[in-house]
Amino acid sequence: MTARKELLLSAAVVVLFAFGPWISPLMHLDVSIVSGVLVIAIAVMSVNLLLGYTGLPAFGNAAYFGLGSYGAALSVKYFQVHFAEAIVIGTVAGLLGGLILAPFLLRRRGIYFGLLSIAFGQVFYFIAYRYTDVTGGEDGMQVPRPLFVLANAHATVSDFGFYYVALAFFVIAVIAFRTIVRSPFGRTLIAIRQNEPRVRYLGLNTDRFIFVALLIASTMAGLSGALSGLLINFAFPLQLDWHQSGYFVLSMILGGAGTVWGSLVGAFIYVIGNDIISTITSWWQIFLGALFVACVLFFPRGILGTLQALGRAPQAFGDDDVDANAAFDPNAAGEAGRGV
Amino acid sequence: MIEHLGPQLFNGLVLGAFYAIVALGLSLIMNLTGTINMAHGSFMTLAGYLAYTMVLRKIPFGWALILAPLIAVLVGIIVERTLVRPLYKREPFYSLLMTFGLSLMAEEAFRLIWGPNGVPFSPPPALAGAASLGFMQFPTFRIFIVVVLLIAIAALALFLTRTRFGLRLRAAVQDTEMIAALGTNTQVLYAVNFSLGIFLAGIAGVLAGGMLGLSPTSGNNLLMPAFVTVIIGGMGSLFGSIIGGLLVGIAISMTTLFIPAASEVSMYVLMAIVLLVRPRGLFGEEGIFG
Amino acid sequence: MASDGVLLEATGITKAFGGVRAVDDVSLQVREGTIHALIGPNGAGKTTFFNAISGFAFPERGRVTFRGTDVTRLVNWRRIAMGMGRTFQTPSIFPELTVDENVRLGVSAHAKQAFRLRAPRGEAKAAVDGRVDELLGFVNLIAQRDRPLAELAHGSQRLCEIAMSLSTDPVLVLLDEPMAGLAEAETDRIIGVIRDLRVRLGLTVLFVEHNMRVVLSLADRITVLDRGKLLADGTPAEIAANEAVRSAYLGEGVLDHV
Repeated sequence: MTARKELLLSAAVVVLFAFGPWISPLMHLDVSIVSGVLVIAIAVMSVNLLLGYTGLPAFGNAAYFGLGSYGAALSVKYFQVHFAEAIVIGTVAGLLGGLILAPFLLRRRGIYFGLLSIAFGQVFYFIAYRYTDVTGGEDGMQVPRPLFVLANAHATVSDFGFYYVALAFFVIAVIAFRTIVRSPFGRTLIAIRQNEPRVRYLGLNTDRFIFVALLIASTMAGLSGALSGLLINFAFPLQLDWHQSGYFVLSMILGGAGTVWGSLVGAFIYVIGNDIISTITSWWQIFLGALFVACVLFFPRGILGTLQALGRAPQAFGDDDVDANAAFDPNAAGEAGRGV
Repeated sequence: MIEHLGPQLFNGLVLGAFYAIVALGLSLIMNLTGTINMAHGSFMTLAGYLAYTMVLRKIPFGWALILAPLIAVLVGIIVERTLVRPLYKREPFYSLLMTFGLSLMAEEAFRLIWGPNGVPFSPPPALAGAASLGFMQFPTFRIFIVVVLLIAIAALALFLTRTRFGLRLRAAVQDTEMIAALGTNTQVLYAVNFSLGIFLAGIAGVLAGGMLGLSPTSGNNLLMPAFVTVIIGGMGSLFGSIIGGLLVGIAISMTTLFIPAASEVSMYVLMAIVLLVRPRGLFGEEGIFG
Repeated sequence: MASDGVLLEATGITKAFGGVRAVDDVSLQVREGTIHALIGPNGAGKTTFFNAISGFAFPERGRVTFRGTDVTRLVNWRRIAMGMGRTFQTPSIFPELTVDENVRLGVSAHAKQAFRLRAPRGEAKAAVDGRVDELLGFVNLIAQRDRPLAELAHGSQRLCEIAMSLSTDPVLVLLDEPMAGLAEAETDRIIGVIRDLRVRLGLTVLFVEHNMRVVLSLADRITVLDRGKLLADGTPAEIAANEAVRSAYLGEGVLDHV
């Protein structure tokens, strides 16, 4: 597998998506649904970085995602900011959420990390839910998509235009993500997942690595949330809810834990599948639940992980970073995870 | 406002007893198997609805209070045996995803069977009134709830500290392999432990249905405070779950009285403070019977 | 540096689990340049004591001093930076990675490369490469360097773990039962490496072992634990002659052979 081949395959995917607005009608999909895939894929990457690469059960990433959405919506509603500013503000809101929660999450590993993520993530849900005067409470807040302003020119962002904004951010996110997980820093995260005590006995402060990983993840989730909110012109409490976190984790597993492109595959299945199922039946939640169960029982490596294990994958996709099944050391689940 | 303080404090204790008993079940399952049971709320809701149906069919409330949790336990045993147990040797988040999926399916199933909007489930007439304790009036049903929950907690404590099986269970939490070496059947241990957790959830589900209402999501509404309770009490400590539950209950009821908008947020503030002072929770090191 | 050549000193270490004192008031001094053995039957508290020294789990009471500094409550990774290296009873390695990658991780970490976004190039890379070669050469694993560690024999995994613990340039190496579960030929290899640690690298070694014969032939100084308590401390000759030790090891017949 050469770097050249990987580059070509990745470029092919991006080019394919560049024609998204023309391809999607052929599949009876609204272009904004495909935008949704690209946007959600960024949030799934944020889970992948923590769970797929570092081995931390990140069941609270919806908090940063929702903060991104509310950050964008609130700033548009109350400060009349424009499109680009709203994205930046939403992303920073996600990062700030990460800065607040990371010191608490850092202290534990394994299921306890998962429990803390779920519990702490939910605090923002209740704030949005209860602070009705500002956030619209349970009903959420409808905010028209702001104008894009550059110097003196301004333009409305159509669904068509938004698609390319989403694609651009997705490409940036993938490049950043790949750079991170292939860097010495990313290699250390993978080492932490495999054997954290050993990493500490190589003299590294693993808390520092996990802290930075949490900040990167919360920023990515914030960006995804901001774009997501602007896409549907809506911010609502369920974006912050732990169910949403669970959907991100499911998407990540479906696509393939610890693979760069698995997040896109997982987001594709989750967003498109949800869209199709919810139009044909009102029982979509049963299907979604069954998907969780089936995925855990029959498909724990996900699509790219399975392809990779079969050895048939073009390696740009089933990349060699992680064997998803061997990804998580059950013994590291308890508190022995890092010593003191 | 001050005149509401007494009744509200009592309400906080009732609420806290619910959180404690749900958290106890969660802790039992988590301690032995490393599974965060996201479907715990569904088992509560299931027991609640079953009791509701039983009472509709003229089965006395007292019997429903026992039978409904038992049926939930039966369902729980089947689920544990077929779906959850194969995951114990895998990474803990797989069982979390599994139980999460189950809870989604259960919620939709409740909607299909009992309707989307919830059902009125009122306590039996015998428990409907209020009892005066001289200085204050207490709703009889809430006193009943406190008594039942206290009995359940006491029975659990006795079981874990006084019976051979309970002692083995506690030892197994420390070291599963050691118990296998001693010849205790770990499979039975898993089943009994899971059943205990579900039974507690079932009782709480029936009682909470009568007090807080019954809807497809009513069990899940108690789940998050129970998670917070486990964290505050100290993960791994059963005693901590009891104290944690009462603290969370009181915190919620007091903020509901003074700053209603912050009622849920208050428990997170409490959790953050506790974790800052004691990173492992109040009784995280060693519990009284954990 | 501490005076009189004491590199590591533990005083009155006590640690209990659920009311049972796994280690009860144990003290020990490791002098610079020695090979020091910690020995005792199963359940004597050797590993618990080791964990207290290396910062894997803090003791309830007692004091640990390393290079003249109190490190009792110092987090483990800082002790490594101060010059401790440690192996575990079950080799603590990255089984999916190759031998080379395992050691390279340690060398990169020590060269402050682990936190970067760019892999080292040029001189920095050459320095890392050189150090990896040196360490693999020391434990004689050059031939297997590109094989995943999971595929190698237990003894080779131990050797790789020793190389990893050396990658951070320690002055004191703590080895927790380095010979456990090994065949005789592999045991001899490890014994050779432990000798080399002192002779060729000039390091101080503290190792845990339950085989008295190995210890008597290898160590300059021996500390014996029994049921969590300090039983004896002295030179191999003193230990071999010690009545309490002889009775603790009675029936094993080991001491009669030396």
